[in-house]
Amino acid sequence: MGALTDKYCIVGVGETPHMRPSNRTTLSMACEAVSKAMADAGLKPSDIDGMTSYQAGDSTTSAHVATSLGIRLNYCLDILGGGSSTEALVAHAIGLLEAGYAKVIVCFRSMNGRSGRRMGGQVPGGPIPVATAEGDNQFNMGWGWTTPAQRFGMSAMRYLHDTGCTTRAFAEIAVAHRYHASLNPKARLRTPITIEDHQRSRWVVKPFRLLDCCQETDVSAAIIVTSRERAYDLRHPPVFIKGGYARTMTENPGWNYSRPVLHYVAGNYGWKRAFGMAGISHSDVDFISCYDAFTFTTLIQLEANGFCRPGEAGEFVKGGRLQIDHELPSNLSGGHLSEGYTHGIQMVIENVRQLRHRADDACPGWAEGKHTYDRQAGCRQLKRARICCGMAWGYENMASCLVLGGVMS
Amino acid sequence: MPKTIDYSKLRIIPDFDTQEWWEGTRQHKYLVRRCNQCGHKWFPPLFPACGKCASMDIGWFETAGKGVIHSYVVVTQPIVGAFIGTVPYVVAVIELDDCKEADGTVTRVAGVLTDEDSEAAIGLPVEVIYEATNDPKIVMPRWRITGRVAGAWNFDEHEARGGGSRNS
Repeated sequence: MGALTDKYCIVGVGETPHMRPSNRTTLSMACEAVSKAMADAGLKPSDIDGMTSYQAGDSTTSAHVATSLGIRLNYCLDILGGGSSTEALVAHAIGLLEAGYAKVIVCFRSMNGRSGRRMGGQVPGGPIPVATAEGDNQFNMGWGWTTPAQRFGMSAMRYLHDTGCTTRAFAEIAVAHRYHASLNPKARLRTPITIEDHQRSRWVVKPFRLLDCCQETDVSAAIIVTSRERAYDLRHPPVFIKGGYARTMTENPGWNYSRPVLHYVAGNYGWKRAFGMAGISHSDVDFISCYDAFTFTTLIQLEANGFCRPGEAGEFVKGGRLQIDHELPSNLSGGHLSEGYTHGIQMVIENVRQLRHRADDACPGWAEGKHTYDRQAGCRQLKRARICCGMAWGYENMASCLVLGGVMS
Repeated sequence: MPKTIDYSKLRIIPDFDTQEWWEGTRQHKYLVRRCNQCGHKWFPPLFPACGKCASMDIGWFETAGKGVIHSYVVVTQPIVGAFIGTVPYVVAVIELDDCKEADGTVTRVAGVLTDEDSEAAIGLPVEVIYEATNDPKIVMPRWRITGRVAGAWNFDEHEARGGGSRNS
C-alpha cells in the first residue's frame, strides 16, 4: 500500500474538439471543457468549489470561467506553466482537499496554441517579422534558436551521438502514437504511418523531421479531482491517484546547456518517489503516457523513469513495443504527435478513460464499458488497464508524473 | 562566403543584468559571468547569482572565445524573420576551452555558426567572430569552425551508416 492509496480520485474529464483554428476565445473553450467534465462526472456547477488552471500568459482565468458558469468558488488559482503542469495541479488539488480548502476541484487548460500564441514566438502566419529579444530571448533569438524543436533538438543530437542510435528510434514513437490516433475519432491525424514515412518527412530542424513534432492545436480540456468518498457516488468507476512527482527539477537548472549530460532529464530524480508512493514497480504498469511534444521527449523519459537503462531507449522501443497489444502501450489517444497538443492534460484524460474501461472509440457500447478489442473495427480500449504511469515533460530540467489506478487495481 | 543574417529584423534589448555583456561584444570581448566569491562561471549572464554558492557578488571573466562543438542542430524552417534568408543554418552548443573548473564543471554557450551543416560536427574546434548590426550599440557574436579533428561526429554521416557505437 502506498501513502496515497485510494484517497483521492479523478472523477470527471472533458474537452473541446482539437481545432485549427478554433475561431473562439480561450474563455469560451474553457467553459465548454469544464461543462463537459462536470457532465461526465455527474456534477452540477453548485458541486464545484475549487478551480485551478495553468497557462503561459495566453489564456483566460479560473475566475472568468467560474463567473461564466455560475460556480461559487472557495479556492481558485491560475499558474504559469506548460508541460508537466497538469500533474502538478493534481498534486496541488490533493493538498487542498486534504486540508479542507475545497471539496471538488476542477483543473483546466485552454489555449489557442495554433491560431493565437504559438510556441517559440512565431506569429499565426509564420516567422516573426521583426523580433524583439529581451529577457531570456537575448541569448537565443539572436542566434535563431527559439522553438522547443530547436532547443530540444540540441539534446536529441547529443543523445544520438552518445548512444549510437538513429532517428529510426524516433520513428517507432511516431508510428505507435499515430496508430493509436487511428483508433481515436477525436484525433487530428488518423492515417497510420510507417517508419519509412517518418524517414521521408521533411526536416524542421535536424535531427527532427515534421513527423517528430506535435500538432499545434486550439483546444481546452478539464479534469475534476475529489475524495474517494465523494467519487463513489458519481457517474463513472473512480480512478484513483496512487502517486507522482510534480514539477521536479534537475540540479544545475539553469537553461544554459552546461549540464554534464544534456539528455539526463528531471524524471531521473522523481520516479523512485512516485513508485514508492504508489507502492508499485515497473512490472505493475499496464500502460503509460509519455509527453510527446516530440518523439524524442517520449524516448528520453522512458530512460529517466527507469523503464529501460540509460542509453537503451532506442533499442527498447524497437518492434512496436509502445503499441496497443504490445508490452508497454503509450499515449493511447495518439498524444500530442497525432491527437493534438494540449500541454499534457489530454494524456491524463485518456488514461482516466482507459482505466474506467470507457475509451470513447468506435465500439457502439463504449459508454457502458463494452468493447470488442477489435483494432480493425476501431476499438482502442486496452483489455488490461489497471495501473498507468503518466510521465510529463516541461523541458529537460523539469518533469512530472502521475500514477493512476482503476477500480480493479 | 558565410550566409548573412538580416539583423535589421532583430532588436536586442539589454537589461540591468546583461548590459555589460553586450558592451563586451561591442568591444569584441566574449564574457561569461564569474562569482567573485568562489570563482564559478556561467552563461547566459541573465542569472544574477552564483549557482554554486548563491553569492550575488558577481563579476565577469573574459574568455578567449574558443571552444568545442558539444552538440548542434540544423534549422531548416525559419522562425525568427532575421534568419529567413539564412536557412539552413547551424546552431551549436559550444563548450568553452578556458572555463573548465576543478570539480568538472564546464561552461557552454550557444551560437550560430557561419559554416554549412555538412561541415558541422560534434568535437570540432570553433572560435567567435563578431558581426555589426544596424544598431551601433549591438554587435552580435557568431562562431566559425577553425579545424578538423579525427573522430568528429556529423549527423548525416551517422544516419547514413545506420548509427554506431556508444560514445559516452
